[in-house]
Amino acid sequence: MKNHIRVERARMRITQEELAARVQVSRQAINAIEAGKYNLSTMLALKIAQVFGTTVDALFELEPLDWKP
Amino acid sequence: MNRNYLFPHVFRFIGWIVLVPGLILGLTHILGGFEATWLNLPVFVVSEPGFLGEDKWFGLSTNNLTDELAGVMLIIGLAFLAFSREKSEDEFIARIRLESLLRATYLNYGILLFTIVFMYGSAFFWVLVFNMFTILLFFIVHFNLALAKARRNFRPDEESYQG
Repeated sequence: MKNHIRVERARMRITQEELAARVQVSRQAINAIEAGKYNLSTMLALKIAQVFGTTVDALFELEPLDWKP
Repeated sequence: MNRNYLFPHVFRFIGWIVLVPGLILGLTHILGGFEATWLNLPVFVVSEPGFLGEDKWFGLSTNNLTDELAGVMLIIGLAFLAFSREKSEDEFIARIRLESLLRATYLNYGILLFTIVFMYGSAFFWVLVFNMFTILLFFIVHFNLALAKARRNFRPDEESYQG
């Protein structure tokens, strides 16, 4: 799953640590999500989207590989 | 919102306080046969197979509780270490927990299967004794290694987005 968190953070000029604090998770969690190493929960996706004032759809993108069982 | 069944973070510290004396007591009992005389106490037993006489059910017996005390301290200490919350417990850490628990269970029962098939007599007995504690031990080791790896992989990029 692709994500545009890094771009949104750059746009809003906030660090991983600040984003982590705002959505109440660890910095490692944000780092792993950004790097595509961790598939986050719906609730966390909604929280992150809300921080950036956007939608989950705009923030995350499925890749062809994600459809493989 | 999601309820988790972890102990508060401070229980990690309590875990060490309970575990270390339990480990010393257990090792001195196993390796040196140490039994504290003040632990010769009457105990309530649910079941005690009789050596020559009848089996005992729901009654009083006398026993030295050194090994029982060591076992209880080891399990409580390891459980507190294993299942105390991290300072910032979140869903990412919960997934690491789950993976670690799965791998610890596979490894523990893999060893048990190997033991059942290939080890006999007192060797089998001793593996069973250690197997009581190893699932927690394997979990603690794997969980902390995985967590350390996640922290090592963390590359802060504070400078680039400071306003």
